[in-house]
Amino acid sequence: MSDLLRAPAELKYAEELDWLESVDDAPKPFSWRLSPKMVRLFILGSERSDGLDREIPQKWFGDRGLVERSIVTLASDRGLLLIGDPGTGKSWLAELLSAAICRNSTLVVQGTAGTTEDHIKYSWNVSMVIARGQSRESMIPSPIMTAMETGAIGRFEELTRATSDVQDALISILSEKYVSVPELDDEGIVFAKPGFSVIATANSRDRGVNDLSSALKRRFNFVRIPVVTNKRSEAEIVRFRTGELLRRHRIELDVPPTLLDVLLQSFADLRASSAAAGSDDERLESALSTAEQIGVLEDAILHGNFFGEHALTARTLASSLVGSLARREPEDLAILNKYLHGVVEPRSREEGGSWPEFLEGGRDAIATLS
Amino acid sequence: MDETTADETAFTALRTQLREAATAFAGGPDALEEILLGIVDDIDRAVHEPLEIFPVCHHSPASATAMARRLREKRPKAVYLELCEDMAPLLTELRNCRLPVAVQAFAAEVDGFPAQWSPLSVVAPITEASAEYQAIAYALETPDVELVLVDRSSDHVFQWDARGAHATGAGSGPEAPAEEEAALHGDAVGVEIGDLRPRFAELEEHLLRHGRVRHWSEWWHQYVELPLGESDHDTYRQVMFLIGSLFRRLAPGDPHRVRVDEDRERHMWTRMRRHLQETGTDPADCLYVCGAFHAASRVAEFGVLGEDTFEIGPRTATRWQYGLIPSSHAAIEAQFGLAAGSVSIAATLWAKNLRRTRVEPYRLAGQAGAGRPKARKAVAAAPAEQAPPSDRLTGFLGRPPVLDGLDEAELLGWSVEIVRAARRSGYPASTADAIAVFETSILLAGIRDRAKPTPYDFQDAAVTCIEKDTVPGRRDVRRLVEIMMGGDRVGRVGYDALPPLARDVHDRLAPLNLKLQQRGVRRALLDMAARPELESCSDVLWILRRLMPHGAARPIMGERKLGERPIQESWDLALGTHQRSLIELGYEGVSVEQVLEQRLRRTAYDSRATAATVLGAVEDTVLYLRGHRLAGELGAHALKVLSAERSVDGAPEVLRRVRRLLAYYRTGEPVLPPWIESFVKAGYAHYCTLLPTAFTDDDAGVRQVGAMLGFLFGMESLALSLGCDRTQLELALAQSRPRDPAKTALLWAARTHLGQLTRAQLRARCDEMLGNPMVVPAYPRYLSGFLHALEPVPGLADFVVEAVSNAFARLPDHVLLPWLPTLITTLRSDGAELAPLLIREAGRTFPGRLAALDAWVPPWRARAEPEAVRPARRSGARASGAALLAAHPAACDAVAGLLGCDGTWQSAESAPPGAALADRHPRTAVALEALLAAS
Repeated sequence: MSDLLRAPAELKYAEELDWLESVDDAPKPFSWRLSPKMVRLFILGSERSDGLDREIPQKWFGDRGLVERSIVTLASDRGLLLIGDPGTGKSWLAELLSAAICRNSTLVVQGTAGTTEDHIKYSWNVSMVIARGQSRESMIPSPIMTAMETGAIGRFEELTRATSDVQDALISILSEKYVSVPELDDEGIVFAKPGFSVIATANSRDRGVNDLSSALKRRFNFVRIPVVTNKRSEAEIVRFRTGELLRRHRIELDVPPTLLDVLLQSFADLRASSAAAGSDDERLESALSTAEQIGVLEDAILHGNFFGEHALTARTLASSLVGSLARREPEDLAILNKYLHGVVEPRSREEGGSWPEFLEGGRDAIATLS
Repeated sequence: MDETTADETAFTALRTQLREAATAFAGGPDALEEILLGIVDDIDRAVHEPLEIFPVCHHSPASATAMARRLREKRPKAVYLELCEDMAPLLTELRNCRLPVAVQAFAAEVDGFPAQWSPLSVVAPITEASAEYQAIAYALETPDVELVLVDRSSDHVFQWDARGAHATGAGSGPEAPAEEEAALHGDAVGVEIGDLRPRFAELEEHLLRHGRVRHWSEWWHQYVELPLGESDHDTYRQVMFLIGSLFRRLAPGDPHRVRVDEDRERHMWTRMRRHLQETGTDPADCLYVCGAFHAASRVAEFGVLGEDTFEIGPRTATRWQYGLIPSSHAAIEAQFGLAAGSVSIAATLWAKNLRRTRVEPYRLAGQAGAGRPKARKAVAAAPAEQAPPSDRLTGFLGRPPVLDGLDEAELLGWSVEIVRAARRSGYPASTADAIAVFETSILLAGIRDRAKPTPYDFQDAAVTCIEKDTVPGRRDVRRLVEIMMGGDRVGRVGYDALPPLARDVHDRLAPLNLKLQQRGVRRALLDMAARPELESCSDVLWILRRLMPHGAARPIMGERKLGERPIQESWDLALGTHQRSLIELGYEGVSVEQVLEQRLRRTAYDSRATAATVLGAVEDTVLYLRGHRLAGELGAHALKVLSAERSVDGAPEVLRRVRRLLAYYRTGEPVLPPWIESFVKAGYAHYCTLLPTAFTDDDAGVRQVGAMLGFLFGMESLALSLGCDRTQLELALAQSRPRDPAKTALLWAARTHLGQLTRAQLRARCDEMLGNPMVVPAYPRYLSGFLHALEPVPGLADFVVEAVSNAFARLPDHVLLPWLPTLITTLRSDGAELAPLLIREAGRTFPGRLAALDAWVPPWRARAEPEAVRPARRSGARASGAALLAAHPAACDAVAGLLGCDGTWQSAESAPPGAALADRHPRTAVALEALLAAS
């Protein structure tokens, strides 16, 4: 266990990646550390038929085709844009891809309204410029430029949050594959090494905030990551991620399968009601993504561990659910209240199990909040 | 098992190998060994069957190629086909159609099945790239060859079906295209030859995962279709037997499904044995075409020498009708849960296989949409000698998979083509995208362990490179690729194969000179003034509009109303697109008129029919069929329904329809038909009886009561002439004591109409209400009542304008403002016909110009004075008019003279009060005389 709060994928799975690299004899594109098939295997996990000596666990849950398309895009001339609802695992996939391909997933630019072109290209160490003048030493390369220089994968998170002119700085990087530094006379151009590519993520809910220009769109291949609606794979994701979080917090606590079912079912119900709602007021503000479920479960586990009886109960789960999902004071609470009374109450009467306790916890939480 | 001893050696090697494999994997003899060796047994048995079994898979070009090749080699004298036996007579009609079409068995009325199942419909789609079509074409085109359908009849499909459990897979998954072609089969139950798919979800998942494919169709294409494409007959058969047996042995064993399958096998073998016995055909001269799944059967009846114990049950009394309906690749995919585009890809592959293998396919002579069969030297190939079966499986299974021979030029062509198609659909795609698609396809194939990209890889690559965050047009890239790969093909049923009704419709619409059999929308212009013969076309079109789904016949200009004759009409017709609906109409009758009559009758005699719906049926009868007989019959029934009705919900509809029908009969017929007279008479009495209850009943709305009064007042003269009594109405009104303000206002209006209440009294009541702060909040509801009163008492319009104006003038804002939206919505929804009346009256009352407004005094205030001098209505007032006439007979005599009447005056009994008035005030009469003299 490393002493980092959250180790990047290449550190966390360093041993696994080393091993994969040692057994990988397939041709590798550019300076990739693993062949495309091995990258896929690292992300989606191994099977018996792969004929490997050890088992590689699955790290990202979703359609195999999406992963294949993403890997292939990175091997081609274009950048990869992962687009999807918040919490669908876009950034996690991006991290895994970079870790597997170039062992460095930390060359990240975070797109915000305050992101400037300097963050994408380069900036200057002012004191050094005053002392020694403009030179390569006094230049601070951006993560993207570093990726270009090392032939690695640069990541751009939340591309659509950055303003359009900043986004467009990527156009020349993606097509010409160099950045010119006019301030420097010689060495004025930084060329990208083979293996360089960009993985950007964009939130489909934010579309229109700063829409991509068509010139930039053309330089990206779009891969849409859908919200997981398959209950089985969702359960797997939640179990996987929660296990990871528990390990990180060093908590020894069991998640009873019945409570996991309650959580999945309640999210499925809330999603259905959101889909059926006519206006935004009748819809929870939350996207009800898998990440949100993990958040709810984590919250409940931590609560149960530190304040409860070292066990996860339906009551804590319900209060975490209400606490995480009630964001707008009257609307969200009203929806949750309606859900508890209209759906959970009949179900707790019919099915029993953990539902009555869940109902009670939910009611208490709503009463506290309103 | 005796027969197999001789040939047992054929598969010995394979058996040994499998036994060893089972031992190696499972560590000893167990279920695995049993399954593996069982599969070899199945293959062994099927291969040694004296009647040659030809296993097929549906929509498999490899099956079709192998079938064509085998038929040319063997030239069997009888072909047994796994298809519902009752569909046989229709197959010859296939030559009049363009494939794909579906053979349909249809029963509108069921007898022997639960009524809620109806209508029953079974479809068996037939595509050109299928083995069954090859067999059918061979059998029908070659003299002395008999085609025998041996599967259970359509009736048995439903008899054996546990309802609700048919796994037709309709509307499967999100990938099913939401286009109309996918719905071509309607909600029919699909049957097909050679349903071959793992029945074990885990097995399918396993195969897909290891095959690195997305769906079953792709797996099949990749791992069976391509390797089998060029294999010889024996290998083909054995591999298909192997797959059938594998899926059969690894099925979870849903007992119902297994029973149905086994019963079908028993049925087929029983039928075949019977046919062999009856005709004395040598089994060696026959070919049995069935799904690979059934070829691996283990029922006791299997084989020419099988047991003969199966009893085929009788059919139910349901009357089945048969026809061909157009089908499409998308419809087949949707019906049988295949991946979108897979049937189209199969069709493309079939064409490619034919080119590559040079197999000459069979084709029905005159088949529309197919190229002319090339003149070919008759290959009088002697039936091939039956070689003893040998093991071809070991070699096949040991070989590495043959990968798709997609060449680079083809992939380049596709890449360029998809970019062009995407650009046409609004994508900003460019040559750079074509390059990227090409490159990505190759990379994707590489990551999926394929030497060259498959069409499915290409599709993925195109989506990756071209699809962005939004879809600009109607179709996304995935769909564009499907279209490019051959696209959806929609079949057409030729004229000769159509049912009589559809032929009749096309014949009768022939004067329009449009190609109505083709798909797409045609615009028809009918100028009846110039070409009166088109009027009959118009009749047909209106009936089609009434009977067929929306969009099949859509009038753009022109309407059909009671009593109106069309002059010009224009129509958008899409009969070709809606061919299935037209064909299904054909199952109901021989002409559209007959079908319409049946449907109208059914609507009218339905147990839930109300008087309004029955009158609607009468109106449609008059409108479309122009028949008095049916209208009379349905009208009489409407009367019966009305008398039994205790609710007045339908009153507005009844009033509207009766008014229209009366107006039509009065203008178009010399006398009113007896049914409408009795209807008015009975309706008058009926509504009079219900009136007091309706006024107090909360369920009856003010609109309904207004409509009842409208009926009573509007039909009064006719009803009275037929012997009704007005006293009944007066009594009914006297008994009515509404509590609801709106209905109270309605009652006041009615009483005003009958003269029981003067306008002054009415006005005084309204004034009183406006002056009383306790009642003011309810005033708007009274106004609503007055608005509804315009229906029965249109003469009250000026008063309503006055009441509304007063409301605006005097109601306090907190009452007026909340009521305004209600007023507007009421006028819009209920008062569409009343609003113009009100507006016209308001226009007359209010000044037209702004300048006039200052000096304007509302007429109801100005009228205050003359109101006082107007003589009060007296009981004897009616007689006064007659007396006036008697005193001054000249005018009447003149009119009588003009009309040629010869009458005499009878003396008035008393001094006419009117005459006295004329004597007392002679000025008017003198002025009139002067005026007449001047003119």
